[in-house]
Amino acid sequence: MRLLVIEDEPRIAEILREALEHAEFTVDAVANCGDARAAVDVTAYDAVVLDLGLPDGDGIVLLRELRRAGNQVPILVLTARDAVEDRVGGLDAGADDYLVKPFAMAEVIARVKALLRRPGGALGAQLTVGNLSFDTIGRDVRIANRVVLLPRRETAILEHLMRRVGRVVPKSVLEEKLYGFDDELESNAIPVHVHHLRRKLLDAGASAEIHTVRGVGYLLNEMKA
Amino acid sequence: MRLRAPSLQLRLALRLALIYLLATAVAAGILVYRALDTAGSLNDRELAARADDIAASVSMTNASVPRIDLPPSIAKAYEAAGNTDVYAVRRANGPVIAASSAAFGEQVKAWPAPGDDPSYFRLSGIGSTNETYYGLTVALDSAAGPIWVSVAHAGEASALVRSVLWDFENDLAWGLPVFVVLTLAAGVFVIRRGLKPLREVSRQAAAIGPTTTSVRLATGHLPSEITPLVGAVNRAFDRLEDGFALQRHFTANAAHELRTPLAIVTAALDAMDETPELAKLKADVARMNRLVDQLLRVARLDALTPDVSATVDLSAVAVDVVAMLAPWAIARGRSIGCSGCDSPVLIRGNAPAIADAIRNLVENAVTYAPAGDEVSVAVDRKGRLSVADHGPGIPLSDRERAFERFWRGPSPSGQGAGLGLAITREIMRIHGGDVRIDDNVGGGAVLTLDFAGATNVSRLVDKRPSASLL
Repeated sequence: MRLLVIEDEPRIAEILREALEHAEFTVDAVANCGDARAAVDVTAYDAVVLDLGLPDGDGIVLLRELRRAGNQVPILVLTARDAVEDRVGGLDAGADDYLVKPFAMAEVIARVKALLRRPGGALGAQLTVGNLSFDTIGRDVRIANRVVLLPRRETAILEHLMRRVGRVVPKSVLEEKLYGFDDELESNAIPVHVHHLRRKLLDAGASAEIHTVRGVGYLLNEMKA
Repeated sequence: MRLRAPSLQLRLALRLALIYLLATAVAAGILVYRALDTAGSLNDRELAARADDIAASVSMTNASVPRIDLPPSIAKAYEAAGNTDVYAVRRANGPVIAASSAAFGEQVKAWPAPGDDPSYFRLSGIGSTNETYYGLTVALDSAAGPIWVSVAHAGEASALVRSVLWDFENDLAWGLPVFVVLTLAAGVFVIRRGLKPLREVSRQAAAIGPTTTSVRLATGHLPSEITPLVGAVNRAFDRLEDGFALQRHFTANAAHELRTPLAIVTAALDAMDETPELAKLKADVARMNRLVDQLLRVARLDALTPDVSATVDLSAVAVDVVAMLAPWAIARGRSIGCSGCDSPVLIRGNAPAIADAIRNLVENAVTYAPAGDEVSVAVDRKGRLSVADHGPGIPLSDRERAFERFWRGPSPSGQGAGLGLAITREIMRIHGGDVRIDDNVGGGAVLTLDFAGATNVSRLVDKRPSASLL
């Protein structure tokens, strides 16, 4: 899978390239907007890692150009600007995700993989957290390669948690995704489903667990060894 | 207690009062002196008139002996009991013709000739009283040839003159203080009016602080004597503002520029194989990252006061912050919960700044909470947000210092720059709210952000919108 890294700081570009290549991506690195335009014109990248502060222009401008030209490549923005206005500006301009400097390398790789796993993304159908895997097309859940049968709604909850692994998925988002306008929604429906799901993962010996963030939502992550 | 320097107003009023009193005393003195003088001359004139009357009553008998026939009314006056008025008439260089009292006659016999002007005298021991007599001797022509007439009156001046004088002094004694007080009051009023522009300028100056360095003192209605001072002060403010701006830019740039090399170090360490040494290095770099991050926040807060006029859903902001920090807390073996976060609580404020304030409290709570503890965030409908943990708590003696910049509690991890609570308090100050520290029931600390001071909270809370505002 081929990635484009647009980063003007040579040391960061070098470290990003090494880490992403270590994660078995093919990486092209450019240091300015001009080179980035040229690269995007000739190659269909699977994802782009974009630093906003570039010597010959603002990364936001490049981002808008790409989107206006109809390029839907998933873009992860890296920025030293952490003011909320800047983050929102980046997302509005068409970024798919952002990370504020300084970032952990593992986080960059995880976010890139998450982008590639999105519907239409290059990583396709397979979501994996620890020994837990989910095939988004076949919709079967496996724990340590054994298929586990789950009811429809528990499967849907697990998919959402796995797509945003390590991050909080708000309860309200799960309610929206799982229930139509006409469905009767009991206030404890989601907690009950999550409770069952958690029990089943535990019983099947999954190395991923669901944490409750009381009053906010749920988070799935790999268990610490 | 420090003694306050006397105000310009007070000093002017005191000096003016002193001048008034002196001037009034001098004026009153002159008036009294002139009155006495006038009274004296009135007395002299009366005596001279009496001498004329007496001279007119002198005639020559057929035997060429001068004699005196006073009109009955005058004679009666000189014969009145007490002998307060006396007279004596002599022929020029000759014997006494007549005297109202023998004793006075004896005295007069020995006197030398008066000159062209009346000669004045003062006598005692004549008549039946012990009073001093004041009188004059004058040379006059009469029907009996040149005569010398002496008339005298007991006491300095007549009762009439004295009573007029007494009235006059009385009026002065009452009237002068009233006059002085009234003029002083008018003076003070005028001074106050004159100093009003100064007070106005003081008010403007009082509003100048680190967040309002662009304010300048108005020179419009100032007296010309004050204008140069105010101008100089304004120029000093200009220089201070430049210095402030420089300082802020420096802090902001420094923090910003530090991020790139830190990002390089962080990423490079990440790419290395895990060893115990590396874990320590990573922790050090993480702490450095946090310090730079907080310095940047402080610099931003100092550089521009956030606009706090927007409508903010406190619950939604709390949910965002909790969702952002939960993975970190869970990785550390703590959890976070949020109560009352599912219904909107609307306040006036700045959402990113409020998020920063909440974030600092939650980070502190997670840092100090024991393993397995839940840090609980609670929002109530009055616009209060509290963050509670079951850590060691903050002793009463440290609760004020805890808000100072770079203050750090006995942190279990040795992390943190000690800026979080200072930033939080500053954000709350900007919102007209307050942050306070209490003991948690069952141990630990509860930090409460109180936005009740933020305008119109209660009114906004009751106006529940159907759609979320964030």
